[in-house]
Amino acid sequence: MNAPEQMKQFRHIGTRPIRPDGVDKVTGKALYSPDFKAPGMLWGAILRSPHPHARILSIDTKKAEALPGVKAVATGKDLPTLESLVMHVGEGASDIVDISHNCLALGKALYEGHAVAAVAATSPEIAREALGLIAVEYEELPFVLGLEEALAEGAPVLHDTVFTKGVDPKPDKPSNAAMRVEMGKGDVEGALASAAATVSGRYTLEPVHQGYIEPHACVASWNGDGQAQIWTSSQGHFAVRSLTASVLAIPQADIRVTPLEIGGGFGGKTTIYLEPVAMVLSKKSGRPVRLAMTREEVFRATGPAPGAVIDVRLGADADGALVAADVQFLYHSGAFTANDAGAGVSSAIGHYRIANTRVVGTEVLCNRPAAKAYRAPGAPQVNFAVESAMDELAGKLGIDPLDLRLKNAAAEGDPQTSGLPWGRIGYVECLEAAKAHPHWSAPLGAHQGRGVAGGYWGNYGGPSTVNVSVAEDGTITVATGSPDIGGSRASMAIMAAEVLDVPYEQVRAVVADTASIGVSMVTGGSRTTFATGMATVQAAEEVKRLLCERAARMWGVPADQVEWRSGAVACLAGEAQGQTLSAAAIAGRSFHSGGPIAAVAALSAQGWLPGFGVHICDTEVDPETGHVRIVRYTAVQDVGTAIHPDYVEGQIQGGAAQGIGWALNEAYIYGENGKLDNAGFLDYRMPVASDLPMIEAVMVEVPNPAHPYGVKGVGEVPIVPPLAAVANAIHAATGARLKDLPMAPDRVYAALHPQG
Amino acid sequence: MRIVVMAPFDKEFFGTGRLDLAPRNLFDLVGKLDALAPGFAAIAQPRVHFAVDGVLETDWTRPLAEAAEVIVLPRVGGG
Amino acid sequence: MSKIRVSTTVNGDHAEFLCESTSSLLDVLRDTMGLTGSKEGCGSGDCGACTIMLDGEMVCSCLVLAPEAEGRTVATIEGVAEGSVLHPVQQKFLEHAALQCGFCTPGFIVAAKALLDRNPNPTEAEVRYWLAGNLCRCTGYDKIVRAVMAAAADLRQERTPA
Repeated sequence: MNAPEQMKQFRHIGTRPIRPDGVDKVTGKALYSPDFKAPGMLWGAILRSPHPHARILSIDTKKAEALPGVKAVATGKDLPTLESLVMHVGEGASDIVDISHNCLALGKALYEGHAVAAVAATSPEIAREALGLIAVEYEELPFVLGLEEALAEGAPVLHDTVFTKGVDPKPDKPSNAAMRVEMGKGDVEGALASAAATVSGRYTLEPVHQGYIEPHACVASWNGDGQAQIWTSSQGHFAVRSLTASVLAIPQADIRVTPLEIGGGFGGKTTIYLEPVAMVLSKKSGRPVRLAMTREEVFRATGPAPGAVIDVRLGADADGALVAADVQFLYHSGAFTANDAGAGVSSAIGHYRIANTRVVGTEVLCNRPAAKAYRAPGAPQVNFAVESAMDELAGKLGIDPLDLRLKNAAAEGDPQTSGLPWGRIGYVECLEAAKAHPHWSAPLGAHQGRGVAGGYWGNYGGPSTVNVSVAEDGTITVATGSPDIGGSRASMAIMAAEVLDVPYEQVRAVVADTASIGVSMVTGGSRTTFATGMATVQAAEEVKRLLCERAARMWGVPADQVEWRSGAVACLAGEAQGQTLSAAAIAGRSFHSGGPIAAVAALSAQGWLPGFGVHICDTEVDPETGHVRIVRYTAVQDVGTAIHPDYVEGQIQGGAAQGIGWALNEAYIYGENGKLDNAGFLDYRMPVASDLPMIEAVMVEVPNPAHPYGVKGVGEVPIVPPLAAVANAIHAATGARLKDLPMAPDRVYAALHPQG
Repeated sequence: MRIVVMAPFDKEFFGTGRLDLAPRNLFDLVGKLDALAPGFAAIAQPRVHFAVDGVLETDWTRPLAEAAEVIVLPRVGGG
Repeated sequence: MSKIRVSTTVNGDHAEFLCESTSSLLDVLRDTMGLTGSKEGCGSGDCGACTIMLDGEMVCSCLVLAPEAEGRTVATIEGVAEGSVLHPVQQKFLEHAALQCGFCTPGFIVAAKALLDRNPNPTEAEVRYWLAGNLCRCTGYDKIVRAVMAAAADLRQERTPA
């Protein structure tokens, strides 16, 4: 569904060339975090708390230190004491003290799996053996995992320094309610009371993990002169640098972070876990140190997305116009204050025009690993509740669920939850495309049902630095500071080739380390193709200008007497009129025309626009087992302009698959003892190939006027609608409205057989 | 100039969602808000977005017109 | 404890290594031999990122003890291409953009090649069930399945005499 007027004017935008890093990745040559080795490297390992909540009375490391081969042991006391300081973490904000205490516990262990000590040794076997020789004396404390339990009177309080933010007056005692965010307008109760139809319900979700296949790993080497190197994969090596430097209280420029290929992140690699610990071990031992997590450690100690309890009430008049929405939710924050409640408030009901609204989100601390960003963080949970309720409302009103959404859909100029007007968004276009899609009217088989849901994500812009340089032979290198997590090097090369009107293969894009390019924000918030793309375009434009200027000087004509034409400079006047100079001809002699040709663009990109999606899902429910099969799936999304459509489709398909997993299978399961029972891929069941059908990605292109090529972020939106799309499809197939995720066979079976 | 402070900052810092200030630009506004509620400046960069006349503005140096409306709202963190 | 000496064949070449009795073949491939194309996503045989061929059988190398490689034939992702010429499965993964982060890709390619070696004309369902032991979190499998089907079609054409 590429808009025809967009297709015609581009040579490269919208084409599907092979990514520059592709061959390395299909041949096994690409180096990911766990693949990197430094000469003389030691092997580290981390001791983790077996208790969900415990005071650390003492840590005796003497026996571990005495084990032959052990070169260093570290505990929380080896990290500097820091003043509270709220910093950017990815796109959220965290207190650096919390980041430090999550890397190595100090005073208390706040969840099962919380790091309490670390060793570095000459082999992994010795390192693991040494962990067993560290004696930690714990005083076990009462723990709390549930949202409402954590807020109850008398619940164990995790931090005596946390007083609920966002309430007035400031509470006089600490609690597990870390933050409360409320937005709204109008008279919700009055409008609900006079509405022709209302629905209400309580929805619950368990925490789920991002599920990247590459576990966290890094190598750090910290020399006696204070300078250090870190090799790691992350969604932002500049964030690794700033956070690690802050935790260690050292200058950022003393750390050079080299980005290795990243094996998935989905928001979960926008923070740090291992780097400061590896640094301390390296300093103590004088050698490079590797720390790598096992899959079990990834599950127990890295950030899941928050679980939630969500209460929703919607009201509409008789012809389906929404009149009121009341959404109140609790989100798990885990062991430290997280960021998802504000995002949940912003992402709950802004896709509809509603006069009377109240949205209240509360972050709740509990003895689980600290919640971290996961693809559209905070949005899928609340969207599941709201879009399920919309489906119920459509049923009550006897209106087609797509028509109900179309009737209320927000468009440009309509207010968001915050009151700000939406920019050029494409929700209506997506709903119309979904309605026109053959899937929406295709016949269904026995036990099958069709569900639909819409959703959105705000996206972001922010700081990026790009260096575009011209080699002596006229070929182009684009260096960015943005890790490539799903094909962005190809997109950058496409955009630069478009600006310069040269073949795609003449442009090579790389991800540069922190010493080789300027500061760039994380690859997250669906910002890279937008913001780093904008910097790429700007730097490429400057290179084009420089090439023109040099050619003019070489010909001895004024700069306005030359023109960029088909990847070369044409002379428009004087003796050289009609001649052209290629980039190779200019760059090859650039040493005699003013020096090498290169341009840096460092910007903070503005004008980003949110993305909207509408997903259609067909399920088939086995009445005898409660098993749900996804029969057909179509994901419609406004993508602005697809720079490399393959990777846009890939984002949509991958996000939809993650959402389907969240809907049907995935959940953190805890035992009575406060310990995670399913810390592995066998029991934490992510979708496999045989669980899914083809996922049709339908790209609607409503270009962003603020981006030179119309880009809108695409990566996060597609995980938002699937939860409700699947639930609505199950309802359509069975008549049962499931409000608790995951909709695993036992739950579905119970819903179908209420008598047991 | 009308300054609208959204949750959670209204209650967290100012006890009100409406302020009337005359900042030259957003840097100046952050300073003025910090004078009203010490500690605001420290969290402004990581936690706050400003919208000027309905449009998010990340350049805090841009001069503000006297008739402008500034909304102070929470940043939304992406993954 | 002294190490065990193992003599084996890796990607067609004779190879010898010393290992602990408890070492996995994956650890030896990655840490001793420097063949880091096989990835460890779980260490428990659940993700398939370490898939290799052992005497022609597809296995998770994290579940094979390194001493078990004695006298046997090991084939890893590093041996799938012939020199610089990619195997059709590799080529189709590139053309169909069947990878995003690429971490699971080596395992998928080894597994897909094993499928096509024994079944040159698989149905979509056969591809999906054969690859059900390989986890990918980025792609939703759509483009992977298409790439494998396309590689199968290519291979069938190659095998058909002109």
